[in-house]
Amino acid sequence: MNKVKIGFISFAHMHAASYLHAMLQRDDVEIVGIADEDAERVRPFTEPNGITYYADYDQLLAQPLDAVVICSENARHAEMTRKAAEAGKHVLCEKPLGISEEEMLGMIEVCEANGVQLMTAFPCRFLTSVIEAKQAIDEGRIGEILAMKGTNRGTMPGGWFIDPAKSGGGAVLDHTVHVMDLMHWFTGSEAEEVYAFAETWFHDTDIDDAGLVHVKFRNGVFAVLDPSWSRTRSFPTWGDVTLEVIGTKGTIAIDAFAQKIDVYSNKSGKGQWSYWGDSMDQEMVDSFVESIKNGKPVAVTGRDGYLSARVALAAYESARAGAPVKL
Amino acid sequence: MRVAIVGCGTMGTVHTRNLARMPDVQAAGVCDQDAERAAAAAAIAGTAAYTELDELLDKERPEAVIVCLPTYLHKETVIRIAERGIHVICEKPAASTLEDARDMEAACRKHGVRLFIGHVVRFFPNYRNAAEHVKAGAIGKVRMGHFKRHGSFPRGWDLWYHDRERSGGVIMDLMIHDIDFARSVFGEVESVYARITPPSVSKLEYAQVTLKFAGGAAANLTAFWGYNGPFTTQFEIAGDDGIIRFDSNQVQSFDLKTSAETGEQAAVQVPQSPMLRDPYYDEVQHFIQCIRTGTEPLVTIDDACKAVEIALAAERSAKLGQPVALEVAPR
Repeated sequence: MNKVKIGFISFAHMHAASYLHAMLQRDDVEIVGIADEDAERVRPFTEPNGITYYADYDQLLAQPLDAVVICSENARHAEMTRKAAEAGKHVLCEKPLGISEEEMLGMIEVCEANGVQLMTAFPCRFLTSVIEAKQAIDEGRIGEILAMKGTNRGTMPGGWFIDPAKSGGGAVLDHTVHVMDLMHWFTGSEAEEVYAFAETWFHDTDIDDAGLVHVKFRNGVFAVLDPSWSRTRSFPTWGDVTLEVIGTKGTIAIDAFAQKIDVYSNKSGKGQWSYWGDSMDQEMVDSFVESIKNGKPVAVTGRDGYLSARVALAAYESARAGAPVKL
Repeated sequence: MRVAIVGCGTMGTVHTRNLARMPDVQAAGVCDQDAERAAAAAAIAGTAAYTELDELLDKERPEAVIVCLPTYLHKETVIRIAERGIHVICEKPAASTLEDARDMEAACRKHGVRLFIGHVVRFFPNYRNAAEHVKAGAIGKVRMGHFKRHGSFPRGWDLWYHDRERSGGVIMDLMIHDIDFARSVFGEVESVYARITPPSVSKLEYAQVTLKFAGGAAANLTAFWGYNGPFTTQFEIAGDDGIIRFDSNQVQSFDLKTSAETGEQAAVQVPQSPMLRDPYYDEVQHFIQCIRTGTEPLVTIDDACKAVEIALAAERSAKLGQPVALEVAPR
């Protein structure tokens, strides 16, 4: 059996570790190498797993690879995706897909032109609860969708995430995209108007860490989303993904990480939630690998990534204008 | 103190039951246009039943009246009672327009009687507990709030809740609880942005409202009439030094299940938790105490007017699809 050959470009985003772990669970995947300028950052992953290290990702791209996983700083997604596509490699790119509309459209275009697939890393699509919700909606169990409310509240990540030049935005960009993608998926519609604010309220930084994003979709559905980095040190977990869907005949409430036990340990000095539900990262990585292996379209496209990231970009525009903006 | 009740629907009955066991308070007649309902309420409190308010006021000579009529009848009724020199405790919302609410206030001032509006959430022990923690600085500076109030569609007399003109709709009638409470925690509202389901959707009303507060904070409120689950209230108040959360579905101190569950829903759902006194009791007792001592209540007529003003701004925002700015009085 031919193994699917995968390379990792950058571990700047910590999700790379989880995606690598998921890849390593599969015996049909070969990790050809990990590229990162920072050798120390990736040593805990290369050495124990016997994976080749590349300081320069161009050298990794020169290897016989089927696909790459890009988990760099947001501002570098476009350049890395372009080079990977030109080298003929399929791409799984960390969210948000990019930091401007033009560069995201460019990423989609260059992948199409080179006949490679571009998948946006939206693991929430693969949550078992989310899949059940999508099924119930498609079966008409809650009638027509009227409105939605979501949260993707989190902890302030620090590092390059709070450097606008590298991240392209704070909490509103970081945490709007996941749930916005689910809203697009559930409604089968696209956002057409955004009203939002973005503020620095929780932490001593120069980037937005609080916001609320109101969206109106083309089909008339309206929604609101809280992407704030508002979880404090004292909170029992890192954050949440919730989505409430109001339909004409019923409602669905998703609380993606509700499958937990409560742990009270004197060692941590606070109560903590320990999640025991399915691994969305494993499901997403499996889906990507299966698509590449079987030459099937990826489940979450570059266009999906673009559609939800542009809502976050519009949210900043609305925040600056203090008024709703049209997409 | 002699206290009468006008309107013997869901809230009137709750208040009647509480008056019947409140020390130093005497139920002084109950009134409802429906003689049967009036008689049923009267029996609870051991008082007389009336179908005409004027007759009750003439015969019973109450010192205060609790008004539990549909919102569109508040103004006329409150003014009628005030003109007789009787104090008024009125269910929320004060009125469905700011002018009406201000007229009620002016009439009460003119006739030298007190007016209290029953924003009962201020008296709910869970909300009070949260407000006290915020005040004590437990979570630092409050920055972001979420408030949720989801229940079945209330079935009032003549389906008045279903008529947005008469009830004011889900924002004015239901969300106003959280509007008032959020304002008490976060301060003055600077701007409002709202979305609401269109009236063409039958049997449900759902609204999302974002309030931005002066001084850097915001809250998103949702209210829902037509929810198929149990009456649910939730809130989260996130500060820069901690978070307070409440979920009414996770605080069952007592849970009885029997084979005889009928599953029939109340006409108007009233949140309940096993307590010696319900929040409506504490509310009315507090207002009566304010009448006796001449002190300011926990929730003032200005607070009630502000809540109406914010709810109306939300309605306007939903219509315009634009945020609506409110005037913030300088401190």
